[in-house]
Amino acid sequence: MFDDPDALTSSDRRHYAGCPDCQARYAGMAEDARAVATLLATPDVKVDAASAFQRIQAEPAAKPRFGFTLPILRPASRTMFAGLAASALLVILVATAFANVLPFFQPKTVEAVPFQVTDIQALSALGDYGTVMWSQQPQPQVVLSAADAKTIAGFNAPVAKYVPAGVSSTVTYAAMPKAVAVFTFDSSKAAAAAAKTGKSLPALPKGMEGAKLTVTVGPAILEVYGNLKANTNSSSQDINLPQLVIAESSAPVVTSSQVTAKQLENYILSIPGISKELSAALKAIGDPSTTLIIPIPIQYATSTSVTVQGVHGVAVGDNTGLGSGVIWIKGNLFVVAGPLRQSEVVKVADNLR
Amino acid sequence: MGVNLFEGSKHLVKSREEAFEALFKSEYARVAGIANRVLADPHEAEDVAQEVFINFHRLHSASAQFAPAWLHRAAAHTALNRLRGRRRREKREQAQAPEEASRTVDPQRMLEVNEDRRTVRAALARLAPKPAAVLVLRASGLSYAEVAEALGVGTGQIGTLLRRAEAALRKEVTRGTSI
Repeated sequence: MFDDPDALTSSDRRHYAGCPDCQARYAGMAEDARAVATLLATPDVKVDAASAFQRIQAEPAAKPRFGFTLPILRPASRTMFAGLAASALLVILVATAFANVLPFFQPKTVEAVPFQVTDIQALSALGDYGTVMWSQQPQPQVVLSAADAKTIAGFNAPVAKYVPAGVSSTVTYAAMPKAVAVFTFDSSKAAAAAAKTGKSLPALPKGMEGAKLTVTVGPAILEVYGNLKANTNSSSQDINLPQLVIAESSAPVVTSSQVTAKQLENYILSIPGISKELSAALKAIGDPSTTLIIPIPIQYATSTSVTVQGVHGVAVGDNTGLGSGVIWIKGNLFVVAGPLRQSEVVKVADNLR
Repeated sequence: MGVNLFEGSKHLVKSREEAFEALFKSEYARVAGIANRVLADPHEAEDVAQEVFINFHRLHSASAQFAPAWLHRAAAHTALNRLRGRRRREKREQAQAPEEASRTVDPQRMLEVNEDRRTVRAALARLAPKPAAVLVLRASGLSYAEVAEALGVGTGQIGTLLRRAEAALRKEVTRGTSI
């Protein structure tokens, strides 16, 4: 009112003119407002946005990893949950890229592998040996209904027949058409990486130059339970954490051209100068089986094997007991997660239709 | 065909980078201003602003509608969190006080200003996160509607929130000076 003249209607104004109580309250509030304006006065900060922009461009962390952003997770940036979800998505993508099957690899089951966040970051060094490009960018979008989600994804949104008490009945749907990433081996880049160690590139096997790995993820549907706009203002630490998340996605598929994925992996591992971290990450995910690797950050979670809907799944429990999730493949890839007890999450998963 | 797909992808990457640059240049001064309002320290305020933009860029698309509101809110909360790291702040102020005083014609007045600032910042750090953020965002020149969007509340609530926060801050400042 004090600093917003439009806050009073004309009838309010008439009342105010004849009401000593209101006038006294207004005088008190105006005094508070003036005092606080003085208390919070600071000299203006003079900034140079152009040079500040250059500084943060030089900061490697400023670039989204693998060019992937998460528009539907809003500001849950500091939560373990968002970290888990983001790293799981990325590693599913990259892990499948190095599976050992030609012409295509389609995982039928899941396995948990603890990892250090630094191992995963090392995978971005793959860019030293070729180009990683999205030929179809991931374009997740929030939609209004399960029907709209189906239109985008091409399959029915999963329906939870059981939802724990206390979980909001408000559901936000998001869907993503399939996304396709292509890694193309480039011998000149690989030679440059080798040259940094003063060595030359090992002889190129036939077909290695320009060999491609194509990874397809999605389509996918995500259902987020909880009123995402409520309680968002207490602090940046406890902002709109979803109460329950259910996701269904086509299992990722990888195809390779000219050489097998295993040949490509072995060749990259033989190039001089490959970092210990990248080498370890590649070996860990190059397990020659039709198993999808689920990365579990060591410092955040423990994992156990569970049976969900009659198939093998991996349950992830937050060490603090504040959150858990379960991942399984039954035709499609499914994830159920939330700030719930593991038994509740598994019950939701078992009752998904 | 494959080449065209790659070219398309390159354009998408480029347009995303351009969108981020445009967002950065249009909002940086305001984000740094909000942080400075909390910290009363331009260098640390710019530090906070850059941290906020880096976090945003890692997680979100610059073309998202909520981008400015996200940045304003994150600036306020990140700066308030730093303010609450009291020991570090006190150390810095002790180091900074003689430096500032030497630049002024009236060292006694400058000491008083520093003391006032310290008292106000300590009071701000003691407020609950929401009232503190309302005060800081409004004092940084955001409209009622912008403050409401940043904090995820209705515009109609801002007047009341602001009045209560102002009264609370005055009370805290008085408490701080009477101890």
